[in-house]
Amino acid sequence: MDNIILVVILPLLAAFLMPVMARTSEVLARVTGLSVLFVSIVIILSVWGTVDKQAVSFAIGGYRPPLGIVFYIDQLSLLFALAIPVMVLLFWPWNKVTHIREYSLLMLLTASASGLVLSGDLFNIYVFYELLAVASYGLVAVQGRSGQKSEGAALAASLRYLILGTVGSVMMLIGIAIIYTQVGTLNLAHLSLLAPEKLNNVAGLSAFALILIGVGVKAELFPVNSWVPEVYGAVSTRLSALMAGLLSKLAVIVIIRLLVLLFPQPEALQLMAILGMLGVITGELVAWRSKDMIRMLSFSSIGQLGLVFVAFSIPGDIGLMAGFAVALHHLLVKPALFMLAGGWSGPLKNLSGVAKQSPYIAALFVLLIMSLLGVPPLPGFWAKLLIVMNLASQSAPVYSFALAFVLIATVIEAAYLYRVVMILYKQPQPDREPQQSRQKNHKFADLSIASAVAVILVVVVLQIQPMEKKLTSMAQQTGDRQHYINTVFSKLNLTDLKSQSQERQHLVEEKEVQGSK
Amino acid sequence: MSMPGIEIVLYTGAIGLTVIGLAGLLMVRNVFRMLLALVILEAGASLLLILSGFWETGVAPIILSGLSGNTPGQLMNDPVPQALVLTAIVIGVGVQALALALILRIKYQYNTLDMDKIRQQLEHDIASNAGVASPASAQSPDSLALARSGSMESAALATGDKHNG
Repeated sequence: MDNIILVVILPLLAAFLMPVMARTSEVLARVTGLSVLFVSIVIILSVWGTVDKQAVSFAIGGYRPPLGIVFYIDQLSLLFALAIPVMVLLFWPWNKVTHIREYSLLMLLTASASGLVLSGDLFNIYVFYELLAVASYGLVAVQGRSGQKSEGAALAASLRYLILGTVGSVMMLIGIAIIYTQVGTLNLAHLSLLAPEKLNNVAGLSAFALILIGVGVKAELFPVNSWVPEVYGAVSTRLSALMAGLLSKLAVIVIIRLLVLLFPQPEALQLMAILGMLGVITGELVAWRSKDMIRMLSFSSIGQLGLVFVAFSIPGDIGLMAGFAVALHHLLVKPALFMLAGGWSGPLKNLSGVAKQSPYIAALFVLLIMSLLGVPPLPGFWAKLLIVMNLASQSAPVYSFALAFVLIATVIEAAYLYRVVMILYKQPQPDREPQQSRQKNHKFADLSIASAVAVILVVVVLQIQPMEKKLTSMAQQTGDRQHYINTVFSKLNLTDLKSQSQERQHLVEEKEVQGSK
Repeated sequence: MSMPGIEIVLYTGAIGLTVIGLAGLLMVRNVFRMLLALVILEAGASLLLILSGFWETGVAPIILSGLSGNTPGQLMNDPVPQALVLTAIVIGVGVQALALALILRIKYQYNTLDMDKIRQQLEHDIASNAGVASPASAQSPDSLALARSGSMESAALATGDKHNG
């Protein structure tokens, strides 16, 4: 189990070695990157299933928690630790023109993302989050070089993303400072042990709000998502797919971990519900007005992430389960849609009659958007049903509003997706013919990704019972605070930890006495 | 409870720096000045973090005489936030360097440092990437300026390549 740390270390090493290797042999550098990804996948698969009953944690370097840094592995973190290398592999730029630094940045992204989901330490999460942020700014900025997109747009989008992202990181840092002032520790399990008495107050709530907004920049949360259309419009669809599919979910996972472990107050959930439903409604409204596919998908992604936040804001394990369902569904479907949209750039009205030319692609697209919309019996329907049912059963007024917003947003979503389908299946007009022939063709790799996702969706429909069981057990494990604490501190006496914190409290009081003298 | 004087000064300074940074980000349009505001904002946050482990009467967190070192009455400052701030500063410097590099490249490309103009140009470029004409650029007086900067862009590109080579 200890070798799981390699999924962070190997890509990190590769990221910095690859540019050096490329000086002697470019092929060697690329092969190194790919093999590191394969090794990561094998490592994760070798421990797959061992944490179903009991999560595992280990202290890095042998320093014991709470001062030592721990990795915490449960079903949730293992699932995402697997999803990261798999998705990076899927969206690996295979062509020969890509500069080596893009591969290097992708490895950095893999390393930091894996660290982010595995880490059990608040400050470590901050460091990995920043690394992830820097890697993604870099990836956005280099896009202009290796594609047909305008270089200036990629740079400007990257800078605007960087400024917003850095403000977010500073907010997160201030949130961490507040938490440290209140509790005096950074280990998540230790924090969780002390949170009910020390963070269940206004200071704790403000720390949560700061962290929510700060990390929310990556998760496309409502007030801090202005970068989304700019970045997705300026970069290749491959990177958009990776960012919308994977990176946004990682940020969500971080928020959920902190929410479950540190912030017991119901106001925290309600804050998330409010921001989530505003995201749903604004995202879907702008998507409705957008004139091209990529922009529509970007804003629909904001809406879907809002839905994820609404789902997670439902109290209890059932909310976690609904959240995982809709997040994982979006993780699969949105990249596939971006891959299909890659071949359909240009205004939507130019797409009329495309279904005649390429019936298979059009059918695939319809299947995917039907699942995104939630047409039964596709998986998206079950995810949305779970949210709607549980929102309806909540008594707090904010959840009734959320329910209304989610339903309205679904109608809007249906309206614009239906419009696209109508355009696709319209009879092609003769005068449009030359324009269509200028449409780029879909790459085979893009199509196979989308097809694979469609197959997965169908399999999920057939296997809905085991999926539900798996999600329930994942939600229960994630929602179990005591399990987390016991796992990390299995060898330590919990009363010792409480007394340590009391000692600090004592010192602080002593200091105040001295100060008043 | 009364707080020691120096702490009030430090807290005021930290919050003041944060506010100055945020205000700068909201009010300034020049991207380089926005970056400077970001630096100030980060400094404020770092100071806040340091203060979470700072006691006015505290001594340096170094154990001098054996493990039972610190004499009663002498409190150590908490070393953990200091280590964290060190990390945060290093990350901050990295991000600022990246931002500076981006600003330089944008200057070559768009020939402006004004955030509003950069945003307009960005929207224009995204729209033309997607093949959808931007609705604003058709009527706005900036469309002329954009067309001009387009020709300058190619010149700037040449300079940029020279710099790179």
